[in-house]
Amino acid sequence: MELLTHILGAIATVILAFVVGMSYGGIVRKITARVHNRIGPPWYQNFIDAFKLYGKTTAIHHGWMQIMGPAFLMVSSVVTLMFIPVLTNGGWFPNLNFEGDLIFLLYLMVFGPLGMALGAGQTGNPNSAIGVTRGLSQMVGFEIPWVMALVALMIQFDTTSITGLMEAQAQSGTWNMFSSPFAFIAAVLAMLGMFRYSPFDIVGAPTELASGPVSENGGKYLFTMMSSGSIFAFVKLTLYVDIFMGGADNLVILLLKTFSIYMIPVLYGIVSPRYRTEQAIRFFWGWPLFFGVLALIYASIF
Amino acid sequence: MEMIYLIFIIFLGGAVATYLLGKINGVLRDITFLATLIVPAVLFYTQVSIGQTVDFSMSGMNLQWGITDFGYIFAYIVLGLGVLAGIYAVAAMKGKENLGFFYSNYILSIMAMMGILFSRDLVSFFIFWEIMTWSSYLMVVFSGKDVQKVGIKYFIFSAVGAYAMLMAIVTTYSLTGSMMIDSLVTAYPGFDFSMQLLIPILLLIGFGVKSAMMPLHVWASGSYSHAPMAYTAVFSGALSKMGIYGMIIVIVSLVSQIPEGHWFREVIAWLGGITAVGGTLWAVAQDDAKKLLAYSSVAQLGYIIVGVGVGTPLAMLAALFMAVMHGLFKGTLFMAVGAIEKQTGTTNFTEVTGLIRKMPLTFLASLMSIIALAGIPPLGGFIGKWMLYESLVGSDHYMLVIVVFFSSTAAFLYCYKFLFGFFLGQEEPEWAHVKEAPAMMVVPMIIMAIGSFILGVFPGLILNPIDAGLQELGYASTQGRYWEMSMLFNEWGDKVVLQPILYTIIAVFVFFFVFVVAKNFKKTRYVSTKDISSSGEIPKAHENLTFSRGFFQPFLRAVEPLMKHQIDPLYTGFGRGMEAIFDFVRRIYTGNGQTYALYAIIFAVLLLIFKNQLFGL
Amino acid sequence: MINDKNSQKIVDIIQNWARKQSIWVLAYGTGCGAIEIPPTMTSRYDAERLGVRGAATPRQADVLLITGYLTTKTLKRVIRVYEQMQDPKYVIGFGSCTINGGMYYDSYNTIKVLDKYLPVDVYINGCMPRPESVLAGFGKLQELIGNGEANGATKYKENLEWYRANQKKIIPNWVMPEYNW
Repeated sequence: MELLTHILGAIATVILAFVVGMSYGGIVRKITARVHNRIGPPWYQNFIDAFKLYGKTTAIHHGWMQIMGPAFLMVSSVVTLMFIPVLTNGGWFPNLNFEGDLIFLLYLMVFGPLGMALGAGQTGNPNSAIGVTRGLSQMVGFEIPWVMALVALMIQFDTTSITGLMEAQAQSGTWNMFSSPFAFIAAVLAMLGMFRYSPFDIVGAPTELASGPVSENGGKYLFTMMSSGSIFAFVKLTLYVDIFMGGADNLVILLLKTFSIYMIPVLYGIVSPRYRTEQAIRFFWGWPLFFGVLALIYASIF
Repeated sequence: MEMIYLIFIIFLGGAVATYLLGKINGVLRDITFLATLIVPAVLFYTQVSIGQTVDFSMSGMNLQWGITDFGYIFAYIVLGLGVLAGIYAVAAMKGKENLGFFYSNYILSIMAMMGILFSRDLVSFFIFWEIMTWSSYLMVVFSGKDVQKVGIKYFIFSAVGAYAMLMAIVTTYSLTGSMMIDSLVTAYPGFDFSMQLLIPILLLIGFGVKSAMMPLHVWASGSYSHAPMAYTAVFSGALSKMGIYGMIIVIVSLVSQIPEGHWFREVIAWLGGITAVGGTLWAVAQDDAKKLLAYSSVAQLGYIIVGVGVGTPLAMLAALFMAVMHGLFKGTLFMAVGAIEKQTGTTNFTEVTGLIRKMPLTFLASLMSIIALAGIPPLGGFIGKWMLYESLVGSDHYMLVIVVFFSSTAAFLYCYKFLFGFFLGQEEPEWAHVKEAPAMMVVPMIIMAIGSFILGVFPGLILNPIDAGLQELGYASTQGRYWEMSMLFNEWGDKVVLQPILYTIIAVFVFFFVFVVAKNFKKTRYVSTKDISSSGEIPKAHENLTFSRGFFQPFLRAVEPLMKHQIDPLYTGFGRGMEAIFDFVRRIYTGNGQTYALYAIIFAVLLLIFKNQLFGL
Repeated sequence: MINDKNSQKIVDIIQNWARKQSIWVLAYGTGCGAIEIPPTMTSRYDAERLGVRGAATPRQADVLLITGYLTTKTLKRVIRVYEQMQDPKYVIGFGSCTINGGMYYDSYNTIKVLDKYLPVDVYINGCMPRPESVLAGFGKLQELIGNGEANGATKYKENLEWYRANQKKIIPNWVMPEYNW
């Protein structure tokens, strides 16, 4: 019986993450359009796109790794989702969130992009490989302030588990974004790179790399990548909410919190042009790193 | 007869026999070689019990051999990797010249490493250490290329390490009057402070050379890439761990006993961290797979040194676990490079591409090892990294954890470069003839890859002996406190449960594999890698569009300031300076009789002038 | 039991609706007409509100937009791009040049009638067509897709020999992979 609840809960979580991620993507397109003084597509445009992509023929493959790539990505997204506490008390989404911790999550998140990178590599398109190298380089950039923020939290609360951090916030009554502000700033700056909106959209770069890693993937491949990307966006947002904003008791609060934090990279991105790769890396090793160090000092003193 | 003697007699006799048979019959030689590796391994695991010792005296010196719990962990690496790499070597080296010499050196290396683990006294320890150095030196120069540059470098550094170690041993003897390691440990707290500092530093120079610690690492990239790959698997996987073995004994048994030991360990940990970052960045910059893996070995040994330096129980568990894992995955990767070298004749990423469909099993083994190397769950590398981070955070090394994390993230770059460079990218007609490597080469790789998978899910299998070994060194038992069979705990009691992770991954993976991948694979048809969207242009068969030159150029540009300072030119400058001094000294001996006569006269005049001062007349 | 034919029909209707609402365009800037694409996509006319969006590579695209005259040299590339696109796919001929050669009616190095080489679903008249007419063209294509009448790709597959013969007449050094899906 417990197993059944877990499985049903897992399926519910995946569906929730998919729907929320996709809708957010559509809303972002709408917001971008409004900022550009356009009308923009309806908020459900991403669902239509995904459905259309799923309906397209997928007639070719460049080898089994190309097909495995999107599957890797999807597996990584779903498994990572399983280890994120969606709601504070579990509720309808029990999952496995007591079995892992932050460092584990950091490494699990890399699983998908690496598989995806292998899939992109096998297509033989030089643009794919260039996109992948840019993505990996950028990742090295933003992981440093991000890890600094996480380590600061770990020091401050003497725990590495996400549920532990959420409990600590519930007990003290303040969110971590107020009790450790520097860590929050560093994490948010790192988040700009994590979501790959401008100016950090150097991986896809449609006009420059012909969409980079996905350039040889259409149809179902692209559908898988798009949906796992949406799930992954939800995962990252929920993680931020969990560790910095005290988690959420119910779905409405969760949506409110995730959406408000999602707006940071989106709004920053809309008004920004694109960086070159080394500029992007150096950006993260400038102010974000400074705030990360401040966070570490703050955490080790208090 | 004592089983320990028998093992060494088999090793020695096998080494000689292989060398002699190498001149007569190839098949007999191969069989003898394998038997010499496998029989002692079997004997060791079945007949030798932990704590059993044999004593004998040689010219007035009391020697003692026996295996401890702590040595047993390393024996796993040495014998396991030794046997598997030996099987691989038979296939990999087929058709090369001078094989008897290669095999007997190989056996001598394994024997020397076992000897180091068995030695309970410093004399036999030093003798085996020298045998190990010599046999590995002969392997480095085996190909006969660049002996001057690479071989001599390795030799000089090894010699410096050996002299430092010899000095420490002699000092110990003069202070304690005994050659036993145990008596050194017991007498150590009674030494005066300068000796307390001198002995560990001298010993650490010796061990640091072998484990490629920061200023002593410059030999590693050249030597690892120059030795035959079948041997490099052992060289990097097992031989470098001997340095770690010694280092742990020195740091834990000696340095920890003095109050200043804390700072000493901090320095070692930071040296390890810097080694990790430097090794990783240089690995990213390499275009040759052997060099890349060599630098990556340096970086991985850096993590281990960090764990040893930090020295909390969790950090030690992490370091030793990573030592075992590094033997597994780096051994596999070197073997894979060897297989590719054998099949294609080159190991340069800019030359060979698109082997995935030609060598799928090698790719699979490399993929699993790379995942382990990168530390991605559910493979074993993750366990070591996790424990290392947790121990660093738990023991207040906040900056060090960032440094290690930076190095570990940057490692993804070279991981991808390795896989992409060899296996992915455009398939070239130039490599159309390439076939999968022979079964004898593939099977050891696959076994080791599966091994790293099993250790990733059941780390308790190897953490159990490690725990016993740590108790031997005086740590409290960590039984159930930090780990269980498939569970990890940190200092605060937070845990990672590995089995649900595995189940989830497998379940989701199977779901997608069955419903998406397998279905799609059947329905779609294969097109060559020339059929890509390149602006409507159709690449010709000989046009190589693979992106392999300047692979991480932007990244390297961004980290340029970090890579500007190298230690190598310093050593070269030092060498040049010494050469100049020697050259000047040499000029005194002109070979001209009149000059010598002049020297004699000047000497006599000087004597006359200073005779009062000199002789007090 | 669900009637297979009827259920397929329902799926088709839903799929056609999705296809019509989401058109990813590969704008192959062959001629001067490409200059009309930016205004169509950006704030003034905003094609994205109709679900029209640029695609970066042929693998992801639904619509191939031939913007203007097509030189004989470019034709080969265009054919290649078209054949790399995945079904269902559509072609829009953009400007007079694709209909009858337009102002290049007597040029020696442009093709005159695009339909002889690629199956065109919708023509947009004009030299150049203004963004309004481009949007009207997209609207027409959406209407056709919705009714399931935009079947240029099927036509191409059925009459491949005829198309190939025409193409080979223009392109002397014909080195192309076979089109077989």
